[in-house]
Amino acid sequence: MAHRVDNEYDYLFKIVLIGDSGVGKSNILSRFTRNEFCLESKSTIGVEFATRTLQVEGKTIKAQIWDTAGQERYRAITSAYYRGAVGALLVYDITKKLSFENINRWLSELRNHADSNIVIMMVGNKSDLNHLRSVQEEEGQALAEKEGLSFLETSALEALNVEKAFQTILSDIHQIISKKALAAQEAAGSGPPTQGTTINVADSSGNMKKGCCST
Amino acid sequence: MLRRHKGRESASSSDSTFYQLRPDCAHNVPDTKFKIKIGKTLSVRKWHAAFTHHGSLHIASVLNRIQSGGVHPAIRGEVWEFLLGCFDPDSTFDDRDHIRQARRIQYARWKEQCKHMDPHVGSGKIITAPIITEDGVPIKDPLVLLEAATPDQQASLISTKNGDEADHRLTDKQTIEWKLTLHQIGLDVLRTDRSMVFYEKKENLSKLWDILAVYAWIDKEVGYCQGMSDLCSPMIVLLNDEADAFWCFERLMRRLAREFQMHTAIRWG
Repeated sequence: MAHRVDNEYDYLFKIVLIGDSGVGKSNILSRFTRNEFCLESKSTIGVEFATRTLQVEGKTIKAQIWDTAGQERYRAITSAYYRGAVGALLVYDITKKLSFENINRWLSELRNHADSNIVIMMVGNKSDLNHLRSVQEEEGQALAEKEGLSFLETSALEALNVEKAFQTILSDIHQIISKKALAAQEAAGSGPPTQGTTINVADSSGNMKKGCCST
Repeated sequence: MLRRHKGRESASSSDSTFYQLRPDCAHNVPDTKFKIKIGKTLSVRKWHAAFTHHGSLHIASVLNRIQSGGVHPAIRGEVWEFLLGCFDPDSTFDDRDHIRQARRIQYARWKEQCKHMDPHVGSGKIITAPIITEDGVPIKDPLVLLEAATPDQQASLISTKNGDEADHRLTDKQTIEWKLTLHQIGLDVLRTDRSMVFYEKKENLSKLWDILAVYAWIDKEVGYCQGMSDLCSPMIVLLNDEADAFWCFERLMRRLAREFQMHTAIRWG
């Protein structure tokens, strides 16, 4: 059997984790990429990222997950953070009402800085803390429907639905890309994209912000 | 914690003897590379021998050791006060006593100012949810997760609260800015060096919160930025007195402040 090297993949998808400080973004990342959870994890400084290669709908997808500090002032680096992202996991904490109320702020942040075609999934984390719950699952579901987002409740601690959340968003992205590739193929009459190329969900004429900080 | 181990100075003891880890976390923390090496590590005796009768420090004689073998944990606090520039090595014992007293008074004054703006400062409590909206409207019953206060302090907290008509909206921009950072400090304090036994003591957590809250008030350009709690934590571990720890942190921030100012962060993007 041939040795599969790390850079052998069909697609590389950049996904960003966003949400208020302390909702569990970094633990979602470590659960998904290393199957680890740390109760003593530190606050995130600046930006971190990790990757994991997995199979989605028969394709090998390298998911590159970006994680950032939730503090307001780190918003200054967002234009760099969102650049090239094809998916966003918008995380709140089911025990912190405010982190759920702030979902709208994060959505407008995405609308202002990310590509308009970005696939967004809303995630209510810490479902293991059901006794401290202050956001009902139905509320999350309703908001997700209203905003046209997919939705799941997760527990990074119990490894519940984290895998599923990423699988869902990755396959959503993959489907969009397949459709695009097909459309492009029909239009140009050319073959499918070569293996290992990064494909941006964005239209080439997309409305991605240009330049530094877009002030 | 450092005191307890003072005098113990064997060739084999390492940092973990001094900075105890919670047993349930030990496996998550990488082993320290530091070992006390006789003849290399700056020992308690060598350190004291580097001072003249009046107290001026011959710093050149200790720097080599510090660089090659590190500092014995029992004296790290005092050594760092010099390394961070809290004191001039040429100063005398008396000079330093005066400076220290003056600084402690200054810190107490600032802390009092902060306490006046928000009674949680110095109360032993830590705020982890916003106490104010961005428009300056106070939020009732913020989530105060940690209660480390003694009954005395609790009483004073309640009386301050009652005396203060918190209902009207704040208009001072600086005060609003400061209040908006308090819960972020709390969220991070609860995530700082949690594998250390040291932070099982709630007083130490509130010390960290208080120092960062006061710092955010006196350095309005930097305020509080995620990451600062990790820098401040060693100062609290090494220096028993809260004010002394504050001044070490303040000195450290003088060196690092550029990295924390908003324009630096923006340059990134």
